Amino acid sequence: MKIVLAQIVPRLGDVKANVELHLDVLEKARRRKAGLVVFPELGLTGYTLKDLVEEVALDPDSDPRFRKIVSRSKGLSVVVGFVEERPAEKGLFYNAAAFIADGRIVHVHRKVFLPTNGMFEEAKFFAQGRDFRTFEAPFGRAGLLICRDFLHYGASYVHYASGADMIVCISAAPGRGVEGGDAFETSRMWELMGEAVSYFSTAFVLYANRAGSEDGVTFAGGSFAFAPGGRLAARAAAIDPDLLFCRIDLSAVRDARRKWLFKRDEKPEVVWRSLERIVRASED
Amino acid sequence: MLPKINAALVEKVLVRFIRDEFGKCGCKKGILGLSGGLDSAVTAALAARALGPGNVLGLIMPYGKGFPEDVRDAGNLARRLGIRHKTIDIAAQVDIYFAAHPTRSRVQRGNKMARERMSILYDYSAREDAFILGTSNKTELLIGYGTIHGDMACAINPMGDLYKTQVRELAAHLRLPAAIRRKVPTAGLWPGQTDEGELGLTYEELDDILYGLVEGRRSRREMVEAGHRPAIVARILRMIKNSEFKRKLPPIAKLSPRSVGHDFLYPYDWGK
Repeated sequence: MKIVLAQIVPRLGDVKANVELHLDVLEKARRRKAGLVVFPELGLTGYTLKDLVEEVALDPDSDPRFRKIVSRSKGLSVVVGFVEERPAEKGLFYNAAAFIADGRIVHVHRKVFLPTNGMFEEAKFFAQGRDFRTFEAPFGRAGLLICRDFLHYGASYVHYASGADMIVCISAAPGRGVEGGDAFETSRMWELMGEAVSYFSTAFVLYANRAGSEDGVTFAGGSFAFAPGGRLAARAAAIDPDLLFCRIDLSAVRDARRKWLFKRDEKPEVVWRSLERIVRASED
Repeated sequence: MLPKINAALVEKVLVRFIRDEFGKCGCKKGILGLSGGLDSAVTAALAARALGPGNVLGLIMPYGKGFPEDVRDAGNLARRLGIRHKTIDIAAQVDIYFAAHPTRSRVQRGNKMARERMSILYDYSAREDAFILGTSNKTELLIGYGTIHGDMACAINPMGDLYKTQVRELAAHLRLPAAIRRKVPTAGLWPGQTDEGELGLTYEELDDILYGLVEGRRSRREMVEAGHRPAIVARILRMIKNSEFKRKLPPIAKLSPRSVGHDFLYPYDWGK
């Protein structure tokens, strides 16, 4: 399957322009016969929204702009980052990722870990997601994560435990640290996690980050795809925008799981009981 | 110890930042004050790369015949970078003010001159439809070594997260002339003033202490234990605290449920 990591530069607060940008990428992906296109976190809105959150929020089931993207996903899978507000939960805004396949929204993940420290202030403006669920994608079982979710490795574990063949993380990660090589130092952190998770989950890990800058903060780019077993399949440009096409072999999951028996020997019930004990103890 | 930067990476990020910010505002031209010193030279070089040399205007604004080498170096730099430049003598407007309101304070005179230069930059910004590029570095911003509403005033500040010694590294990478790179840093408030003379320590030591305090989040005690002089660490901490007002917009007295500066929160890049 051919995948596309769309390392785009969204326009801050301009959903209409960003929908066009997404459609443009989808068209290119379709022409090159891609099966999956992954856009970055808050790709439909830009990242540094603050009070703009409520202006750009949308209901993915009814918003005509969002429906345009859904309708252009015939024969394609697409991961889109947006601000979600459902009619049943008015006034609650989620930093969300939708998995769309073949003209249908298959799953929506709401970001659980909202960084709110130092330069980050997400929990000031977003409601918190409360679940990690996998779902059936056209190419296998998949789980979504949004940016900081991925750095809490329990999140990937839940997807792994529930059978994910692929973990897709969408991101708007700012670059920090300019002492190292040709990329921001923080890019190493993401790749390290991608390598480790793909290795020990024997699953694909796709990471789509954005490029561009907002309010002086430069997004680090460096999107990547790891095949099961920690094998780097592709890496996008650091800092610069990029449209990374990459072919992945879905049979690699089976191959890796025959070689490394982590999945077969996993004991989620033991982990669960241990976690339950820890959580109970902390509640007492 | 303050680590060395990857200057090529920093150049890439800063050039992209300048281009992005100007692009969002639909502004093609940049303007900045050229003092003949290191910071404005590096900023001019970055702006020339980001916007194209023909879109950058450097204003050289001496007070009378003072600092002739700086004026010469600034002019040479502009020619070398291929940017436009213009010299405006600020003596007349400064003298007429101090003739009516005399002072013996060199700092007061220096601050007034910095603000005259600022007012000229903003006027030329309107005449030229150009954005003002700030030239303050992180060292100056942290210790408050700049004139509020003077040389600190700008539309964007590309170098505000680089310590002075890192600006030197970037200058070497950008191959700026040795005459500028080797120059003793001065705020130019009066002839013979040097930053290091006035501060009583070198930029290397100052940057190491700031790096320990800011990035390293070390306490005063830990800095002293690491070998820094207690009086110096105490003085730097005092300078940082006493200059916080220069790094903030003034506080607004809150009355309503939603107030500017408190909970009316939008990005700087709003609507661009």
